[in-house]
Amino acid sequence: MRANAVHSSLTAVAAILVLSSPSQAQSGSSSGFKLELDPVTIAYESVDVDTESAKFNEYRDLKDGFLLERLNLRGSYAGGDRNFSVTARRAGRDDAFYAFDYRSEGSYSFKIELNRIPHRFGNNGLLLFDRTGPGRYEIDDATQASLQLAIADQFRTNRAGVNYNFLNGLLQPYLATAGTVDLALRRDRARAELELGKAGRFAWGLTLDHEDRSGTRPYGASLGFSNVAELPEPIDYRTTSGQLNGEWKGERGGVQFGGRLSRFENKIDVLVWDNVFRLTSTTDPNAYTAPGSSSIGGTAFGRAPLVPDNEAMTLFVNGRGKFGLWTMQGSLSYVTMEQDDALQSYTLNSAIRGIDEQGATFDATDRSFLPQSSADREVDVFSFSGSAGVPLGKSFKLDFRARYYDYDNGSDRVVFPGYVRFDAVWEEIGRITVPYAYDRTDLSADLGWNIARGTRLGLVAGLREMNRSFREIENAEEIFVRLDGSTRKGGFWLHGHLELGDRSTDSYHVEAQHDSFTHPEAVNNLPDLRKFDEAERDYLDYLLQADWALSETLDLTFGVSGRDEDYSKSLFGLHDDEILRFNAELNWRVGESGNVYLFANRADREVFQLSRQSGATVSTDPLNNWQVRFDELNEVVGLGLNLELAERWQLDVSGRWSRSDGAADIFSPPGGTPNLGVGFDDYEDIELLASVVDLGFEINDRMAVGFGWRYEDYVAESFITRGLTYYLPGTLLLNAENGDYQGDVLTVRFSLKH
Amino acid sequence: MTRSGAAVAALVAGVALAWTPTLLADEPTYVGVETCVTCHDDKEASLEGTPHGQAGFAKLSARNCEECHGPGSAHVDDPDNADLRPTLARLTPDERTAVCRNCHSGGARFLWDGSAHASQQISCADCHSVHSPKSESSQLQRANETEQCLSCHKDVRADLWKTSHHPVREGRMSCVDCHNPHGGQGAKMIRAASVNDQCYECHAEKRGPFLWEHAPVRESCVNCHAPHGSNHLKLQKTSVPYLCQECHANTRHPGSLYDNTTLADAARASNRIFNRACVDCHAAIHGSNDPSAPYLGH
Repeated sequence: MRANAVHSSLTAVAAILVLSSPSQAQSGSSSGFKLELDPVTIAYESVDVDTESAKFNEYRDLKDGFLLERLNLRGSYAGGDRNFSVTARRAGRDDAFYAFDYRSEGSYSFKIELNRIPHRFGNNGLLLFDRTGPGRYEIDDATQASLQLAIADQFRTNRAGVNYNFLNGLLQPYLATAGTVDLALRRDRARAELELGKAGRFAWGLTLDHEDRSGTRPYGASLGFSNVAELPEPIDYRTTSGQLNGEWKGERGGVQFGGRLSRFENKIDVLVWDNVFRLTSTTDPNAYTAPGSSSIGGTAFGRAPLVPDNEAMTLFVNGRGKFGLWTMQGSLSYVTMEQDDALQSYTLNSAIRGIDEQGATFDATDRSFLPQSSADREVDVFSFSGSAGVPLGKSFKLDFRARYYDYDNGSDRVVFPGYVRFDAVWEEIGRITVPYAYDRTDLSADLGWNIARGTRLGLVAGLREMNRSFREIENAEEIFVRLDGSTRKGGFWLHGHLELGDRSTDSYHVEAQHDSFTHPEAVNNLPDLRKFDEAERDYLDYLLQADWALSETLDLTFGVSGRDEDYSKSLFGLHDDEILRFNAELNWRVGESGNVYLFANRADREVFQLSRQSGATVSTDPLNNWQVRFDELNEVVGLGLNLELAERWQLDVSGRWSRSDGAADIFSPPGGTPNLGVGFDDYEDIELLASVVDLGFEINDRMAVGFGWRYEDYVAESFITRGLTYYLPGTLLLNAENGDYQGDVLTVRFSLKH
Repeated sequence: MTRSGAAVAALVAGVALAWTPTLLADEPTYVGVETCVTCHDDKEASLEGTPHGQAGFAKLSARNCEECHGPGSAHVDDPDNADLRPTLARLTPDERTAVCRNCHSGGARFLWDGSAHASQQISCADCHSVHSPKSESSQLQRANETEQCLSCHKDVRADLWKTSHHPVREGRMSCVDCHNPHGGQGAKMIRAASVNDQCYECHAEKRGPFLWEHAPVRESCVNCHAPHGSNHLKLQKTSVPYLCQECHANTRHPGSLYDNTTLADAARASNRIFNRACVDCHAAIHGSNDPSAPYLGH
């Protein structure tokens, strides 16, 4: 004991002397500059895909050619007090990532990164239009004139002959020579972050984010029920934000505070496109159905304002502290969101005359006749979330949680004497904007019981309340009870929860739809329909999962979870949404760093909704009812292994097979409208097999080579894309390729460490 | 002071002096890193290249190993006694977390107390590893943030592999882009105060506010979307047109039945079910500034 005590004492003294000695940097004995390249990897990819489907490269950029696949450069100096790193992944590609990090541990750090994320929607879409400028799609006048004339002739001789077959016949020669377009965008997200004093009592941070998002995505541009043109919506967005935050940490608590400004800009305000079927603008009461047997009128071109610029400012403060036995924390934030873009005129159709509240007509293309020239929208949000917990004796703990969110839309209500439907006809129906607002309160109490070491039971009871303005239900309350438990012993962990909720509401005001009309019309939604986000409901949510370390190297997991939302008090609308999931996983550690794993997930979801078809007035005939039950089965199976095959040889294999199998079972009682209902089996039947094999060989301590093979097989059958062509009844489609593919990617890589 | 009082005082002092070395000897003391690595050099080696093994850590914590593991003299004195080993596994989850929070209590970890993970007795060591991290950053037990979360939240894995998904499985984003596992302001540990505020971080064009609003959009994006993954376009929970028809059964076309007989390859093909159905006309579904778009058309 005495020898140990002396040894301990001497060791302690020695440790004190060592730790209190001047640092190497201060003593100047060595700058200690270290640079490590670990690694730099150059790769060559060879890609072979059997189709042009955009799904293959949906969020990535796999293509033939060399690339800097990986760069990790780390350095330190001043005895390790200063550290930096330079990181690059897939440099030069559309899915590249770059980062630079510099820090003095415990003092400050600076980081800058650029993350590129592509998003491809479809390739080789057929575009009848020419893109003549940002947001401008045109068809040459001769084509428009020719089509307009042909349609007018047909309309004169046989109105009913202006139908799909006729229009398709007119369009086919032009479609045969149309150009193609790929629909894709890319996000370039940059972030710069400066942190000061993280390890001290005061810390500060400054974060700047900027994102450029550019490209195109599919957009439905409609000039009437029978005249929809799918176009590439031009995307040229800039999102910039900056946040300054501070933090103070004390012995018994702390405070965080800060402010954030965010600005979104859309560089292309408006989309203008030619009407394929008209060179000149006209109007008539049925022009919104054109071209068809009722009308061939309408506008020569359409105009759609695209998403407006907006700004948001956020102020926040978070606090936490210990007060006796109580531990409390809370967050307060105030956000103001503004949008004040200039408003476009009612239409570009010069043939249309608007009618004001006094009955006088005006030029609907003239912005000066708008009730106001800009949107002038503003919303204030106040939110609070907090918790307070106190131990009750040695085994119990009580936590209270509260959350409050108040979305206060203070925008003025703007009255419009009417509007132009589909750029085709003036509708003398006065409309008024509706500044929806709501507040939400969540309260809960959680009593936890630590039954034994590693075993806990919890009982939670809570209330969620929602208050709304301008919607069908003004007040809804949901009470819930939750039982959760967890036990860990040795390598075994069992945990789960069971939660029951019941939402009740005050009366449902179906006439809430009147709020957007200056002169309320007859209610035209089913009186007995309940919008599910407001409706009464019961729900059950559950989870049970077991994780078991069968041995030092083998882990097994098994779990079941699910949620059942029951809206059965709604006669129409969503009635039921239920999901049941199973998962299982086996993990085997092999050797020092090897691993083999296998997992499987299965999710079975059923959704049931009811409705009733009406004509010009709300139907009261139950024979007009219809219902649909959706069944979606999802399965994912995966396996993988990471093994050191032999000295210097490393093998990584992963495989995933996922499948979704959906069906829609539709029923309508015979004798009504609709008479019967026919379901379909391809409610998103999708299968993906994805596998990756990587074999690496270390030539020596510094160099390595690798060979990779990626294989994917994707098959998609969806009812909404079944039978799509470039022109369908009432609709001109891009029909871009986004479906099946089989693809191989071979990769050869060379890595160097230094 | 009386003579008897002095005698008592002397007696007490003497007893105290006699017992003090014993009392002091019962409390373990710090032995220093050099002692620790005498036996545990593998642990020292494991820290190399990690933040805990760099000079900055030594600057912040004079006690190195014992900063986290506590004073080790008792263990050094009797290394074969398992009960005296200062291993963190012997602590309760709250105690383990308290060790880490001695240094790591700010930033993203500020709202830990009362968070879902804290109340479920999850500790830092359930996700992070100081001595054997597998990830490139954040010292996680798994290769990356997503795999770490999926190690417990296995029900989400199936959603990530659905056809419509955020680019999580491609590695372009991860769970922590939306969730703060250390505790966030919103429900489900969302970083922002609400689901919508979180979504606006990347989808700022949906923030509005707009001239013409769509109420369920303003209240919650997850009224219509399933952010972890979906079999349907654009992360929709249910496919259009049926998604819209859960709320809209108005006269004429909104309440009409669209079924197999109205698909693109059928005789009664209707543009209200094929391609993007309702959204092909009601393109401004999230809100519009168009004076002529009270129905959220263009």
